[in-house]
This record gives sequence, C-alpha cells and structure tokens, in this order.
Amino acid sequence: MLDNLGEDKSIYLQIGEMIEDEILRGILNEEEQVPSTTELSKFYKINPATAAKGINILVDKEVLYKKRGIGMFVQTGAKSRIIEERKKNFYDTFVKKIITEAKLIGIDKQELKKMIDDSKEA
Amino acid sequence: MSILAGKNIVKKYGKETVLKNVSVEIETGKIYGLIGRNGAGKTTLLSILTAQNPATEGEITLDGKPVWENEESLSHICYSREISPVTMFGPNTLKVKEYLATAKAFYRNWDEAYAKELIKLFNIDIKKRISKLSKGMLSAVTIIVALASKADITILDEPVAGLDVVAREQFYKLIIEEYSETGRTFIISTHIIEEAASLFERVIIIDNGEIKFQENTEEFLAKAYRVSGDTDAVDKATEGFKIYHPESLGRNKVVTVLADKPVENFGEDVQVEPVSLQNLFYAMCVNEGREAV
Repeated sequence: MLDNLGEDKSIYLQIGEMIEDEILRGILNEEEQVPSTTELSKFYKINPATAAKGINILVDKEVLYKKRGIGMFVQTGAKSRIIEERKKNFYDTFVKKIITEAKLIGIDKQELKKMIDDSKEA
Repeated sequence: MSILAGKNIVKKYGKETVLKNVSVEIETGKIYGLIGRNGAGKTTLLSILTAQNPATEGEITLDGKPVWENEESLSHICYSREISPVTMFGPNTLKVKEYLATAKAFYRNWDEAYAKELIKLFNIDIKKRISKLSKGMLSAVTIIVALASKADITILDEPVAGLDVVAREQFYKLIIEEYSETGRTFIISTHIIEEAASLFERVIIIDNGEIKFQENTEEFLAKAYRVSGDTDAVDKATEGFKIYHPESLGRNKVVTVLADKPVENFGEDVQVEPVSLQNLFYAMCVNEGREAV
C-alpha cells in the first residue's frame, strides 16, 4: 500500500499499478481477493468511480477477475502477464530516461555499460 | 436518474450582478465539487439551486419540474447552510439539540440513529448553545445535518472550512462511506481543493459569477499540462493551444495548457508534466494567458 497517491499520473492508473506492484512483490497472490472498490476509495479518499476504473483496467488486462457476489480476485497467470507487459515498456519507461540523463552529463555508452556491469545491484 | 438543472440563472443584488447567466446540471448519483474563490458566487448559486434564495432570472428544475415553492421537489434536497453564531437579534441562543430537532422535523428521511452516531464521532455537546460553539463545532453540526438528512441531493457549503485536519479526514471518509452505501448525490463547495479533488467525480468551476467549466474531473485533468523549457521551444510547442499563467525565469518559460482533448506529444524540446486540480484552478484564476488561436 502506498501512503499517498502522487500527482504525476491519473489516480486510476496509480491504483492499477499499485495492485500490480503488490502482485509482483507477492503481497497479493494469484487467486487471492483484492481490496474492494469501497475499501480502496476509503483508504485513499478517492471517488469510488475512480477506484472502480483502476480495477476495471486490470480486469481488461486479465490481471483480475470478478467472482460474482464476492469480489475481485487475482487471476492465475497474472504475475507473468504483468511481467511481460512491463518488460515491453521497460525501454521506454526506464532505459530511455537513463540514456537522456547520461547524455546530459556526458556519460558515454561505454561508461554506461561498465556501470551496469560493475553494479552490485544486478 | 434525476437531474437538478439551473438554466440561465442571473442573480442581482441591487446594481451588482453576482451570477451572470449561469447554467448547471447536477445528475444524481455523483459527487460534485463546486470550486471558486471567495466571492465567486458559490453560496449564491447553491442557495438558488435549493430555492432558499430567488433568482433574478432563470429557472431551477428537478426532473423538469420547477423547485421554487415545490414541497415535493424540495423534500429531496438538503442544503445544510453554515450556521451563524449570531443572529439579527443577538447571539444565537438555540441549543444544538434544538437545532437538530428542527432539522429532524424538516427532513422527511432524517436518520436519528445516524445523527447520534455522528454527534458522538465529532464529540458534540448537544446541550451547548450555538453561540458557544467553536468554528470547528459549527462546521461539524452542519455536516451532521447534511448526512443525517438522508436527502437524495445533499449540498454542503464549505463544510471543512472550520475543521482541523483530523476532522477533515473523518469528513472525507464519511462522505465516501455514505456515498458507497447509498449513492446519494453530494455537492460540496470548497476552496480547499487539493485534499478534496480526488473525491469529486465531476467538478464545477465558478469564477466571478460565471461557470468556467463543468466536467468529469479525471477527463478534465487529462487535458491539462504544465509545459516548461526554453522560451522559444515552449512557445513553439504550445502554439495554438489555450494557455494560462505563463511564467518566465531567465530563458525558461512555464505555461499551463488546457487542450480540447488529450495531447499525444508536445515534442522532445519541452518538458511536460500533469497538473493538479488546485494548480490548474490557480493558473486559471491568475490568468494572464491568451485565448486559443
């Protein structure tokens, strides 16, 4: 759970991403129930319609599914679908930014590659 | 679905025109935010919509029927006004419980158990006289009346103005709880925008007696951008768009753009960021921008 929603993106997108993050981190497991629209809207003080929109995006992406009369659940295979999609966006969301910043401060490709190779995080 | 509609409302106090040909539509089942600066006409508009104040010109209807002196229409509407600690005749010596009893008699669907729960939550001493209440307590009493009225369309005029941060959070949660359970319509006027913005499904912006926008909040913000960068690049990238509040710092320029629809790309030479409702509102109100060409 995020403490606060930011302003850099539509709120419904942030709700969707937050649930995806929790699935990736294993806080929400496949076939587990996710918080309801009402719970989400109360927690974040957002309009229930906005929370529902965030949830519905994940239903469209086959990350969540609805059990009638019970609520929303994480689909089997959701995690790998999220990973697949994020991999596709990885270049645009992250790599491009790194290259732009590197250019700005004069780090060349060679140096950048070396940094990645030497990184203790990887 | 019902619709509360105000058509071509004009309100004059003597020579001063407070509302200039205002038209609004309130669909039931949504939470509306009415935002505007002090003196923009928020309270006047709300009191006219609820027939507590006659319009100079124009018509207010609920599902096509005029609301003025129409008991049936008005029984669906609650306008919980700010309570004044003083009256024309001196201090308001009414006790809170007497005030609440009047509200109970007035609103058909009054929920006494809910009212009691809220009195406890806001820690109100109902034996106290109105004149002895703090600003926060006065706000809390208006909120209690609004919520416990159980009216289909409930209007709150600056409900959080006197509340401290804890009570404000409680208020937002109460509204969401009640809205989730009942789908009642709420119209909330405020000039404390930032913390309430995400509550509003639709937003109505009023400025200087005129409605500037009435739109779905999310869609409205999806068309607004803060574009910054080198002055020439910003001018080029925002050419033809409606811009608000341009600011310069050295060769840098920042403008707020409000487009007719979401913009895919402003080009590589400028930085583009989303705008919050409060910042968009601010940019509009200090407007030194130019019209779209």
